Amino acid sequence: MIELNAVTKRYGSLAAVDNVSFSVGAGEYFALLGPNGAGKTTIVKMLLDFTRPSSGSLSLNGTSSTNAASRALVGYLPENHRMPPHLSGWQYLQRCAELADMSRPEAREQCERIVKLIGMEGREHSKSNTYSKGMIQRFGLGAALIGGPKLLILDEPTSGLDPIGIREIRQLLESLKNQGMTIFLNSHLLSEVEKICDNAAIIHQGKLMVKDKISSLVKDGDTLEDVFVRFVKG
Amino acid sequence: MKMTGSFSPIIKIAKYTLSDEVRQKSFIVMFVICALFILMVRGCYRGDYMVNGQEVEAAKVVMMVSKITFHVIAAGVMFLAALLSMRVFRRDRDEGTQSCILSKPINRWQYVAGRILGLWILSVAFMFVLHGIVFIITSVKLNAVMPEYLFASLLCSFNLLFVVIAVLLFSLMMPDIAALLLIIGAGITGLVADGIFAMSRSPMGQAVMQTHAPSGMTLWQVVYFLWPKLSGTQSFAASFIGADGMGATAPVYPLMNIIIYCLVLGALLFWYFNKEDIT
Repeated sequence: MIELNAVTKRYGSLAAVDNVSFSVGAGEYFALLGPNGAGKTTIVKMLLDFTRPSSGSLSLNGTSSTNAASRALVGYLPENHRMPPHLSGWQYLQRCAELADMSRPEAREQCERIVKLIGMEGREHSKSNTYSKGMIQRFGLGAALIGGPKLLILDEPTSGLDPIGIREIRQLLESLKNQGMTIFLNSHLLSEVEKICDNAAIIHQGKLMVKDKISSLVKDGDTLEDVFVRFVKG
Repeated sequence: MKMTGSFSPIIKIAKYTLSDEVRQKSFIVMFVICALFILMVRGCYRGDYMVNGQEVEAAKVVMMVSKITFHVIAAGVMFLAALLSMRVFRRDRDEGTQSCILSKPINRWQYVAGRILGLWILSVAFMFVLHGIVFIITSVKLNAVMPEYLFASLLCSFNLLFVVIAVLLFSLMMPDIAALLLIIGAGITGLVADGIFAMSRSPMGQAVMQTHAPSGMTLWQVVYFLWPKLSGTQSFAASFIGADGMGATAPVYPLMNIIIYCLVLGALLFWYFNKEDIT
């Protein structure tokens, strides 16, 4: 579903991503872990063709990421998701549905379903500048789910959320697991990743340190946090 | 109805551009002020002016005033188009619209084309409505319809396309306000250069040129001919107003110059945006 082949991204002399190769199969719940500035968001941006690799190639669903068609069945939630302040959550979702080439009735039906799924019934017609950060994040996740994507790319989905918000997002992601969706998750919250994901990769200073099943990485008596610290601090 | 193909996202993005700009209070206020201003100057269309004790022909007064208003509106809307265009990319980045649109199966050129189309349609409609008000006033005063007035307005739409594309392109390379000032500067420089060129063609100017001008084409003349001909296009369009039949009396070169600029700057805009990082 996702394939990175010897991907390098340089900004001047700095290698933000250095010769990284890995793949994520269909139906996997995959987490990309790393400290700040490790190159996680750069990888996500290259997957969506927001920035181009200096060398190497990336593909989504077997199509090169430079081809817009590769994003046909992809949902994306950016880090620190924002919404135009003059739009309501409903209008925002409707625009996303229209951009996913849905007809008006289809878009309406999808938006109604998504609003229920993200638990925003009753607030969907308020302007987004009246929403809390958690509500904006939920609408962002809702927008990513529009059109029934096969692959969800989530960049720090719980960033800035309070513990209740984090728990709600986690429950939502767990409920999607049963629908056969592939999830590519960038996160700092190792305890959450440990609860949701099957596989993880740790990236540090642009280099891939390890990629394996979480159950193989975390030995008895350890936590994912211990494993993470061990790989990052050496 | 479901649209398919490359044009569907362009039209949707253009539609969003229109609705996002029109709902802004500053846009509505600006439109109301412009329309009121044009209605307020309708008194100038009266034909009872006296010069040296003789009454000036009403038709001439109406024609002259409508031509002046035509130029003022066309220049004013160019400024408005630049104002509308200068913040589009930055706002899209800040509000997450760019990443939202481009994470869908939409190409970057389609996003840029949608924004250009939306801003162009909006500014052309703004200008056309204001020119339409003058057209109605003039038709009532002269008791005759001047369709060439509206045709001239449509010709000026190429100037608006140039302004939209140029400001969008320069806003990617420099601060928004610098992009705005650059295009205003280009317009004013062109206007001043046109004035100097017209003076050099006058009998007095010709006499000076014969004594001082070097033979052949000078660098100044090359720069003058290659400079964006915004005021020249406006003059070309205005030359249709009141002309016999539909013939223009001004040269067509300025219009060709602006169309070529639109194509070149448009290609540069698509190329430049394509290599930008989306944040």
